[in-house]
Amino acid sequence: MNASFALLIASSAAFAALLSGLLMLRLEQPGRAGIGPAGTLIALAAGIGLAPGASPSWTPLVVGVVVAALARDGDELLHGECALKLLWVMGSALALSWAGIELLSLATGTPYVREQWAVLSLGLEPTFLWSTALPLSLLIGVVLLGGAPFHFWLADVFQGVRPWLAPLAAATLQISGAVWLAARLDDVDQFPPGARLAWGLLRIAAWVAFVAGAATLMAQRRPERRVGTLASLNGALVLALIASGHGPDMRWLVHWASHLALALTGASTLARFLPVSTPAGLGAPILRRHPWITLAGLFSLFSLAGVPGTPGARVWLEVARALGSTGRPDLLIPLGFAWLIGLWKSVEQLREAFGAPGPARSTVRPVPAAARGSIAIAGLGLLGLAGLGWARLLPW
Amino acid sequence: MRMIDRVRAGVQTLLHPDARVVGGLLCVAGLALVWLPHLWTGALGLELLAAAFWAWARAAQDRAEQLPRWTWLRRPALALWLAAAAQAAQAEAVSHGALPARLAVLLVWAQALGVVWAGLELLAALPLARPFSDRSGPLLAVGPWLPALLPSTGFVLLWRHVEHWTAVPEVRRVALILLIVTAVLATLRAFGRGRWVASLRWLIVADCVLASMLVALAVVPQEVSLMLWLAACGGRVALLAGELRAMAPRRMAASHLVWRLSGWISSICLSAPLLATLGFGPPGISSPWAAVPTAFAVALGAWVAIRRMVEAPERRAMVRRESAVSLSLVIAALTLATGPTALVMAWWAGFEFPWPLGLVAWLPAVGSGAIAWWLERHPISLSKASAEMARQREVARGLATVVFRAFMAVERRVVALLIRLGRGLLAPSRDLHTGDAQEYLLFLIGLSAVALFLPLLR
Repeated sequence: MNASFALLIASSAAFAALLSGLLMLRLEQPGRAGIGPAGTLIALAAGIGLAPGASPSWTPLVVGVVVAALARDGDELLHGECALKLLWVMGSALALSWAGIELLSLATGTPYVREQWAVLSLGLEPTFLWSTALPLSLLIGVVLLGGAPFHFWLADVFQGVRPWLAPLAAATLQISGAVWLAARLDDVDQFPPGARLAWGLLRIAAWVAFVAGAATLMAQRRPERRVGTLASLNGALVLALIASGHGPDMRWLVHWASHLALALTGASTLARFLPVSTPAGLGAPILRRHPWITLAGLFSLFSLAGVPGTPGARVWLEVARALGSTGRPDLLIPLGFAWLIGLWKSVEQLREAFGAPGPARSTVRPVPAAARGSIAIAGLGLLGLAGLGWARLLPW
Repeated sequence: MRMIDRVRAGVQTLLHPDARVVGGLLCVAGLALVWLPHLWTGALGLELLAAAFWAWARAAQDRAEQLPRWTWLRRPALALWLAAAAQAAQAEAVSHGALPARLAVLLVWAQALGVVWAGLELLAALPLARPFSDRSGPLLAVGPWLPALLPSTGFVLLWRHVEHWTAVPEVRRVALILLIVTAVLATLRAFGRGRWVASLRWLIVADCVLASMLVALAVVPQEVSLMLWLAACGGRVALLAGELRAMAPRRMAASHLVWRLSGWISSICLSAPLLATLGFGPPGISSPWAAVPTAFAVALGAWVAIRRMVEAPERRAMVRRESAVSLSLVIAALTLATGPTALVMAWWAGFEFPWPLGLVAWLPAVGSGAIAWWLERHPISLSKASAEMARQREVARGLATVVFRAFMAVERRVVALLIRLGRGLLAPSRDLHTGDAQEYLLFLIGLSAVALFLPLLR
């Protein structure tokens, strides 16, 4: 797959996500929409579109843009809360990772990753230095991907942040995390002890992320939080892939990033109109009022969960295959568990969208045209991605 | 009504179909998919079947009760999705030319466990949703019949995907034990229930379980297992459907006799090869310890089928005119012929009853059924003791119910204990995740974990 084709796919996905975001922005009150928020969206979409050539040095910039966008509106209390959380968590993680990078540079005398592995292969440096520095340098990647125990921020963003901003912000941050890890571990197999250490740590991180993510998903009742946890599981897929030693190559990263941006956009927009789960299954039957739009949104949600037949299923299967080929397939067990729980909750969400007849006076909340448009764009984008895959026009 | 209104009404019905129609369509599509040989079609079929029950339940008057009652139906579907995913991963790995031994073992186990879980749960052989046959289904008109679909689907799954779950000997062995326990419990429950319709549902479970055991043992060709199951279970399912249509099979003496005979002979044909193999089969397959409870279940099943199926009195002032050979009679005759035909096919394919010990395998069903029939045919000689007999019958049925319920209570306690244990283990992580300040704490825990790992890695 050549770079320009990858760039085209990523750019198209980013453009679709941007268009969806801009449509949702139209629903905001006049004082809250404008050049500023639109500019933020464009900047975040650019982050997604440029994923194939992204650099880890963009990470603080992306975090900064998201935090600034959240902190911009003083009246939005939930935005402020999310901004504080992100700043606290990602700021600390970024500081620790920088410390790790600086330690590695100090030990090897070079800031370039490949050169660092070459220097460390000589065995002149004390082990404790690089074995402390290397895990620290990976920390922000794990945090940005939303792998447990750092999975809370994704659910918080989807519940607390306005719908025009949440999916793009979450997708861009997660993509930054994947790019960070991929860049930090570039060619690490040239230094086998370092590769073993990094892959071992990421293996543990992926185990925890899958198991804790699945357990969280089982307990969640709010659709927005479920979308957040599904996003966290998609982040865990990257951790698992890197832990398998295969690393996310460009084509995989493009597929994953494009899919994530579109699926998060469709699923999170729909989630705003879905009922909170109740044991009786009562709820607003949005599926009966807007069947096609709801199905498009559910397609996005299903794709996040890797339901067979959706483009997301391909991502899950690719990671499973990569894990299997390592000869240490133990990580397939939590992956399978998380996938099953995702599947379970997705179908439950479908039933809740259809709803059970409630009290006579219960009404169905109408979905604004802009939101319907946003869901439709994401759904069509995912369908396009799936179509390209089915037609074998994509190499994944 | 004008033509345009009729068309409009027709279009309205098509666009907004009745929940019964939607459920029916989903159910038919699901059952058709389950019969296909692919695991993913099976999983999709079970998902549609669960959706059909959900569609019926949500439209029912007592939906608050029906909706949670049938939620468990998604579990077998999920188990089969696991198997389908394992198969897909296996195919993917093979297509890329790399299937390490450990991966192959893991995927084969996942497929076996997924298929067995789905099949056993539908057969009421797992302690999670065992008593579903005690209750009516969610659709008003055919509610009492609907639960009979589930064990039948369970058998079809186990039969269709036999190569997946019998590939792992440990899984096959555990499944066999669970099936034996279920056969005993199902026949005990059939014996303990007062209503014939309820007993019939449990007999269907028992038939499906016995047929699945035959599949697990793999001593007769697959087609023979299917025919034996069709004769035994299919006959009873048709009988149950007839029961819901004004007890048609029991209204006429001839129909009653043929149905009784067909049920009995089908049970004999199904149980004989099973008991012969378990009791006196080749080493490695036979297990006499398992033959004893199975024989008990077979004998009790035959007893219930003969004794409980009493002729229904005709109370209608004007009997509806029916054809001389009714559909019910034709089905009964077909099931009567299917069992022996299947045994001939088995013999043709090489299956032989061990001689002379193999004759013992016929005894439980033949003997128990014959005694039941004889007792029913000689009511005069027993009339003096009829009150005492009735009391003893009640005591026996009560005892069967007590045993069944005691077993269920123990099972439920064990399951509840495990669930509580799981919740207890998850509670701390959940508590950490409920407030804002705690989220930071969670982060600190993550950092501490990293800090702890670092010295160890050094």
